[in-house]
Amino acid sequence: MKTLADLKKIREKAQEEMKLRGSSVRIKIVVGMGTSGIAMGAREVMKTFLEEISNRNLTDVIVTQTGEKGLSSLEPVVDLIEEDKPKVTYGNMTPDKVKKVVVEHIVNGRIVSDYVVATGN
Amino acid sequence: MQDISLHLLDIIENSVRAAAKNIKVRVIKDHKQNLLRVIVEDDGVGMDTGTLEMAQNPFYSSKEKRAKKVGLGIPLFKQNAELANGCFNMTSEPGFGTVLTADFELDHIDRMPLGNLKDTLLGVIIGHPDVDYQITLLSREKGREQSFHFSTAAIKEELGDIPLTYPDVIEYIDQSLQEGIQNTNMEVV
Ligand SMILES: Nc1ncnc2c1ncn2[C@@H]1O[C@H](COP(=O)(O)OP(=O)(O)O)[C@@H](O)[C@H]1O
Ligand SMILES: [Mg+2]
Repeated sequence: MKTLADLKKIREKAQEEMKLRGSSVRIKIVVGMGTSGIAMGAREVMKTFLEEISNRNLTDVIVTQTGEKGLSSLEPVVDLIEEDKPKVTYGNMTPDKVKKVVVEHIVNGRIVSDYVVATGN
Repeated sequence: MQDISLHLLDIIENSVRAAAKNIKVRVIKDHKQNLLRVIVEDDGVGMDTGTLEMAQNPFYSSKEKRAKKVGLGIPLFKQNAELANGCFNMTSEPGFGTVLTADFELDHIDRMPLGNLKDTLLGVIIGHPDVDYQITLLSREKGREQSFHFSTAAIKEELGDIPLTYPDVIEYIDQSLQEGIQNTNMEVV
């Protein structure tokens, strides 16, 4: 059974880490979760980001969900938002493409241009 | 949508878009009553009677530009409940919120599977960190009742400024949900 005591330990550990590395969010990931996105597999895309963050212990990334953005034919759609950089939108995402984006873009800082469907705002 | 958990995700996203701060999700599986019931209750902006009626009609969405393309989520969920000899009900009060109930006959041959409840719940909890969720799973089978309650407010309070996307927190929520789903026999329904 998971208890709130487990959470307390997690908080303490996270706070220690933040003292060392700072608490800044480097990249914000936004997964489109409108009806057509869901029908096209957006939930699995979200899940894969969460798995990758957890497995690779990425502590400076956050993921959120949002409604449709009017890119129906390109769903599932994902935005990567980094401070002081133009927003990058990836389209027709799959769990495998997510893994590649995590390694290339999020970990190594190289945009995966093959999957980009829009940049900027 | 291939299963109930994907419809549930779609419905919760509607609640979030309606600016809900609190969302209650209940899934009830009752063998004696031959019932699978999903309830989503939110405290979002709500709908007036006209909007409520149109939301259940396949050719309506308040996002006008795409009126013909989307706005199918609710009508499809309703249709799928009715295909399994169930019923669908949505009530709403502008300014107070919305309650949606979808009933399915549990053993109906055309009932869609429950699907992956865990991934739906994990995604909405972490993906909308400002929303407080109260999740209840309840199963009644052979006179035995198993229930699971999960409330995110207490978790967020305990975490303070640690984000829900923090790796160990993802794992914590994932495992908690996993246990609850297992204990209430909602893995493969
Ligand atoms: N929980 C809710 N609270 C308030 N309004 C809602 C809710 N769910 C749906 N609606 C209204 O019904 C409309 C149709 O919903 P839906 O069929 O899901 O299509 P969409 O989400 O693409 O607009 C929405 O645009 C919104 O105006
Ligand atoms: Mg919708």
